Amino acid sequence: MRKWKAPRIACASLVIVAAASGRVPAESPFGDPNAEPAPFNPQMAALMSMLIQPRHAKLGLAGEAENWPLAAYSLKELRQGFAVASRAVPRWRGLPVPELFDAAVTQPLTLLDFAIKLKYSRQFNEAYEQLTAGCNACHATTDHSFIVIKVPNASGFPNQEFAPKR
Amino acid sequence: MVLAWRTGGIANAALAVTCALSIAAWAGGAGFGDDDDNSEEEGPSYFGFVRDTSGATVPDAKVTVGLKGRGGIITRTDLLGTYKVPGFGKDVDPKDVEVACDKPGYKQMRVVRRSAPSKDPKIPIETECTLQRI
Repeated sequence: MRKWKAPRIACASLVIVAAASGRVPAESPFGDPNAEPAPFNPQMAALMSMLIQPRHAKLGLAGEAENWPLAAYSLKELRQGFAVASRAVPRWRGLPVPELFDAAVTQPLTLLDFAIKLKYSRQFNEAYEQLTAGCNACHATTDHSFIVIKVPNASGFPNQEFAPKR
Repeated sequence: MVLAWRTGGIANAALAVTCALSIAAWAGGAGFGDDDDNSEEEGPSYFGFVRDTSGATVPDAKVTVGLKGRGGIITRTDLLGTYKVPGFGKDVDPKDVEVACDKPGYKQMRVVRRSAPSKDPKIPIETECTLQRI
């Protein structure tokens, strides 16, 4: 990824020079606006950012607020996120994604389900810690230990209320 | 003057093509979110889970990945119960590579190779080792 930086900067400069000289390329470097829409094919990094990390955070915030209906919903969403990601990228760098997810999160997700159904805050917190540790263990297994997930200490969703309706 | 303009035009066109191609590659085609895949291994690597008889993964188990009669590499399973060993090189036949696992309080029950050798060096050879509590 880093190796593309220099050519990108050079190209950006050259496009500016070309534009200044009055002869811009006929077609946008970002593609043809009349082309057929290409299938959207997000890779693992994007799937994690779109489907897993925000849902993990929302689940934690809902549990912290003891908003059990929202926690149950967030848990379901998170489970579905893992299912979608493992179907979309069944192997990542040759490693079996469904099995890695299973080893990392199945047990804490089950414990979270129980905790939410029982509305048992302490068990929720323990299972959520375990889930977060599972995320980080998986990152370590896949040589991404520099991505450290933690229990959220603030909401990143200013337009959503996490406290339960009274 | 005309020659200079033409040369500039050709150069600009070449630059535009180069930039379009490089930006398209940078954008990852229709994909979204780069996976910084830069692994360049020679032979297939070796990967697998160590599990107990209930199917639960076993962290911190000793795993030996060795060549028949020529010793091998000793590693340990991580928190997810997985081990990874880099390839031995293209001259080594994966059929000659054996995996064994061990942990105090357990004995090895079975070793199952789960994948056939692949020509793609990015696909590791998966071998699952099962331990039984003693």
